[in-house]
Amino acid sequence: MRDLRLMPGCGFAKRESRLRLRCMAASALAAGTLCAAQAAHAAGTPAGTIINNSATATYDLPSGGQDSVTSNIVSLTVDELLDVSVASTDGGDVATFPGAANQVLTFRVTNAGNGNESFVLTALDTVGGDDFNPSATSIVIDSNGSGVYDPGLDSVYVAGANNPLLAPDASVLIFVLSSIPAGATDGQRGRVDLVAVAATGSGAPGTTFAGQGQGGGDAVVGATGADAEDDGFYAVSAASVAFVKSADVVDPFGGATRVPGSIITYRLVASVSGSGSLANLRIADAIPAGSSFRAGTITLEGAPLSDAADADAGEYTGSGVAVRLGTVAAGAARTVTFQVAID
Amino acid sequence: MKLFLTLLAFLLPSAALAQNQVALTSEVLVERTTTDASGVARVSLEAPGVVTPGDRLVFVLSYRNNGTAPASDFVVSNPIPDSVSFDGAESPGAVYSIDGGRTWGALAALSVRNADGSSRPATLADVNSVQWRLAQPISAGSGGELRFRGIVK
Repeated sequence: MRDLRLMPGCGFAKRESRLRLRCMAASALAAGTLCAAQAAHAAGTPAGTIINNSATATYDLPSGGQDSVTSNIVSLTVDELLDVSVASTDGGDVATFPGAANQVLTFRVTNAGNGNESFVLTALDTVGGDDFNPSATSIVIDSNGSGVYDPGLDSVYVAGANNPLLAPDASVLIFVLSSIPAGATDGQRGRVDLVAVAATGSGAPGTTFAGQGQGGGDAVVGATGADAEDDGFYAVSAASVAFVKSADVVDPFGGATRVPGSIITYRLVASVSGSGSLANLRIADAIPAGSSFRAGTITLEGAPLSDAADADAGEYTGSGVAVRLGTVAAGAARTVTFQVAID
Repeated sequence: MKLFLTLLAFLLPSAALAQNQVALTSEVLVERTTTDASGVARVSLEAPGVVTPGDRLVFVLSYRNNGTAPASDFVVSNPIPDSVSFDGAESPGAVYSIDGGRTWGALAALSVRNADGSSRPATLADVNSVQWRLAQPISAGSGGELRFRGIVK
């Protein structure tokens, strides 16, 4: 599956054929099983469905016989309800940094109506409720359905040209890409709203577009106004790391002179400040010329690490010491120690 | 014009009525709630120009004895259309079916069998046919109306 997604065009073709199938299913109203399957949708009876009602009655005649009568048939056509919902799927602020480009916010746009409908998308980057204005540079459709932004594979949205067409209850992920101003500072938040509007029309609930509904009926604006939006936030996380290196010297005589045979204990402290966290933080320190690494002396947070390049976080490389600290949150520090002997 | 008259004669229910002593007509209205300028909500019943999922429908069955003798044991049944969820009978005396009209009863007497073999009391949404049995004969020239409600699924 993963391999398929990586092949350009493959996932996209799949998506197109799926949409086409859905259109066929919705138009083939005569096929009872398809109708029944669609009626189970939360969006309700598919647009264009015809509701027929009639009653029958029986009664006894004075002569002793029985008669029956069937009423006229009342037919109602279910019109297309235009409804849409937009929801951020980021689960919180998206971490970014000053001057960053192509920072991704993710939204899910769902057709909450009962007919196939296209939606016009707009990103609003100059809205209140934030500390800086990101610059929304593009809207991208998750056209390969991977759930993440795949540059080059996902389709860049062009209003009117590739409005996402959604079957009732279907949804699509939309990515909003923004640039973060260089002047944004640590901890500041920037907001971008994604707006989705039914292409057929929008407005006050109940607004009717005669003859424009799927299946030949009218299209009627539903409770959402056929116009929905949600906000996403970027948060500037200007985490930075400071390394402090110190040394303790113990000479062979119990003093602190630097003579051959003196043991130097180096202490490296990495402190992360700001907000957010730093991923894949590493410490590498070369063994100074004129000294030799003392085997089995590497520690991380006081716990010994083996010299070999193995499963633990550090090793002696032959010329220096390397320790992987992983992701370190702002405000935290990691301490690495090792010893050398002066030659 | 001649064609029109022929069509009209074909479409008019008079021929059908002549065969039946009791006439039965079905009508569907949609309930609309409008809020006036002072914020007062008014509910009105309208002819359904447009229906969408969630709309409340009122089904009206009108009967009239056009004959000269009473009609007795009058039983009228209305299967609920597939795309409509039954929402209760407005006229008293209704019995219900959840099996397409094979068995009838008060709602409390009906139960639905779950997939795991257990059963639960039937709800309005389970009803797929409604029926009235008139206790009194319909006298010649008189008639009445029976109503039930449904919601477009």
